[in-house]
Amino acid sequence: MITCEEFFAEFGDYLEGRVSPEVRKELELHLSQCRACHVLYDSSCKTIKIVTDSCSFDLPQNISDPIVDRVMAKLRTDRS
Amino acid sequence: MSFLPETRLEKDFEPFAVLREALGFVPNILRAQSLLPRLVEAEAMLEKAVRLCDGSLSRVRKERTLLTIAADRRDIYCVAMHSRVLSSLGVGEDQINQLLEDYRQADLPGPDLACLQFCLKLSRNAPAVGSEDIEALRSYGLTDEAIFETVIVTALAIYLCTLSAGLRPDLDSEARKLPPLRSGALDDRPGAGSSVDHHSAPGRKGPYVPAPYLSADTFAPFAILQGTHGFTPNFFRSQTLRPDLLKAELEAVNSILLPEDALSRLQKECILLAVSAANLNSYCVAIHSNLLRGLGVSAEEGDQIAVDHHESALSNPDKALLDFAVKLGTHFSDFSEEDITGLGAMGFTEEQILESVVVTALNNFANVLQMGLGFEPDFESPTAFEQNKVNLLAGIDSPMPVSSFVQTSAITVEDPDAGLVSQAQAGDLEAFEGLVRRHSQLIYRTLVAILGDPVEAQDAMQEALLSAFQHIGAFEGRSKISTWLVSIARNGALQQLRRRKHVESLDEVDSGDDRDYRPRQVRAWQDNPEQGYSKSQIRELVERGILQLPAKYRVVVMLRDIEQLSTDEVSRQLGLSVPTVKTRLLRGRLMLREWLSPYFSARAERAAP
Repeated sequence: MITCEEFFAEFGDYLEGRVSPEVRKELELHLSQCRACHVLYDSSCKTIKIVTDSCSFDLPQNISDPIVDRVMAKLRTDRS
Repeated sequence: MSFLPETRLEKDFEPFAVLREALGFVPNILRAQSLLPRLVEAEAMLEKAVRLCDGSLSRVRKERTLLTIAADRRDIYCVAMHSRVLSSLGVGEDQINQLLEDYRQADLPGPDLACLQFCLKLSRNAPAVGSEDIEALRSYGLTDEAIFETVIVTALAIYLCTLSAGLRPDLDSEARKLPPLRSGALDDRPGAGSSVDHHSAPGRKGPYVPAPYLSADTFAPFAILQGTHGFTPNFFRSQTLRPDLLKAELEAVNSILLPEDALSRLQKECILLAVSAANLNSYCVAIHSNLLRGLGVSAEEGDQIAVDHHESALSNPDKALLDFAVKLGTHFSDFSEEDITGLGAMGFTEEQILESVVVTALNNFANVLQMGLGFEPDFESPTAFEQNKVNLLAGIDSPMPVSSFVQTSAITVEDPDAGLVSQAQAGDLEAFEGLVRRHSQLIYRTLVAILGDPVEAQDAMQEALLSAFQHIGAFEGRSKISTWLVSIARNGALQQLRRRKHVESLDEVDSGDDRDYRPRQVRAWQDNPEQGYSKSQIRELVERGILQLPAKYRVVVMLRDIEQLSTDEVSRQLGLSVPTVKTRLLRGRLMLREWLSPYFSARAERAAP
């Protein structure tokens, strides 16, 4: 079985679903037997899901519109 | 009024001019998409190539096909629109009424009737179409080109009907009377609870019409596909009989699917996968699960979306999005304004709702085209797993060929904003405003990420937009305009950062500590960590977590996980190499994980964030 070190070397790509089927098999075997890496993997997946679902830093229309409006008004005055 | 608001596009907006010249009017179905002009452009490109010219089939024959399918689907808008066009092409009221009543009673020559019969079969039950249907058309003397056009016109009919069901545009002319509903006419479709005989599905594989070899050296769209995919999918290679149609189709596909100003690529791919699955289209299911894999979705999750997205790990809004698309794509006659408002209530913007309608329409276009022309899967490696699930979904026991398809990156081509850019460069303020509004979210998030402060970011945004207008003349089109806008914003923000005492660098210099970084051990997390927090509490936690990251990680996490750009796109936007982006992304995510752990670990006290 691969070591935790080897597991971590592939971890970023694994989270992104970018490993080959052979590597994936190795990693999953490791995960099934190493609790620490399992916790790492599980909490990382949950982190990504929470972050991607969070709608963070949505610039609400009522803030973005006035900004664009101000810019456009300035450009139009500059022109005339 | 159609389901969604419309914006006024300029009179000389090119797509409108094209339609007005060919039809004498601009169909309201295009106006109903005006919130996102690139979608109007896409439809106009498709229409121009497929419908608005004489080819092997005359315009009248094409329009008759469109009308017959629209009448079969009881699509009041499309029926009125095609009737108006047929009338203007000199077809008498009698024939139009006969087509609406029952095409078999219309006084048409044998080959035309055979064609209409084929088109109805393809539009009602595409999986049942096989080589024998194509042979039947040949026996009536139809050439390969005419067959090809027949299939693509049918696909366009489905595109228009799907749009019409989803947008409900105002009629372009008086409503036509349709005959009473014949039983079996509408529910005769897979996915619509039908009893279609799948065992009669084609035995012989396609492609049904010849596809001459086109070299990427001479046919530019293939060179682009080669560059981004490393190969050209059969879906496109099988359409080389008509390079003109293929080119228009690729352009339309790109301008619908690539921009991320409304839905993300991931959301669009999920729609394509879920609706293709509901349409039982194995070829398209295989392609889209693989495209999803390229976007970071695991094979298992992709399968789950194809089989039943309710059981997938998608967020609730995204599940609602797929419910919406599948209903529109397959149970279109039940679709109503409530579905639109329901999706709005889940937090989707009008632009996003519009785009989900158009992506669903495009999906149905592609599904019909694929089944009508019988493209072969790109790689023959069926997995029993996938097969079993597709069969379960379909409720049928004859195995359908499901093949996997190896593919990694997205197609990247011309910037759909190019038109607006050149107008803005010529000093057109409206065009500039359009560009800015389209990309304001991306610019803002980049600024927050760099500056680490939402209020400062709003001020910086104003500066960035003014600077962009000043310099837009110097933009040479070597990148997408969104990338260029972000680079202007980024440079301004970095200058601002440098003025601060504490300088944080975003440069490529890799001190080595990123690679040596090892995550700290944390306690296991709960099964459903979000439970117990409200959406706004989670959002606040995540925002605080992101803001406390060092800038170089914050920027990458913001663009990849919040803005949901692909890794390649993040590397282009930030001018960093892909390996650097990957390293920083992983480290940023792990730091966030540690920061969030106290709130979500199994024995965490539920403290207010």
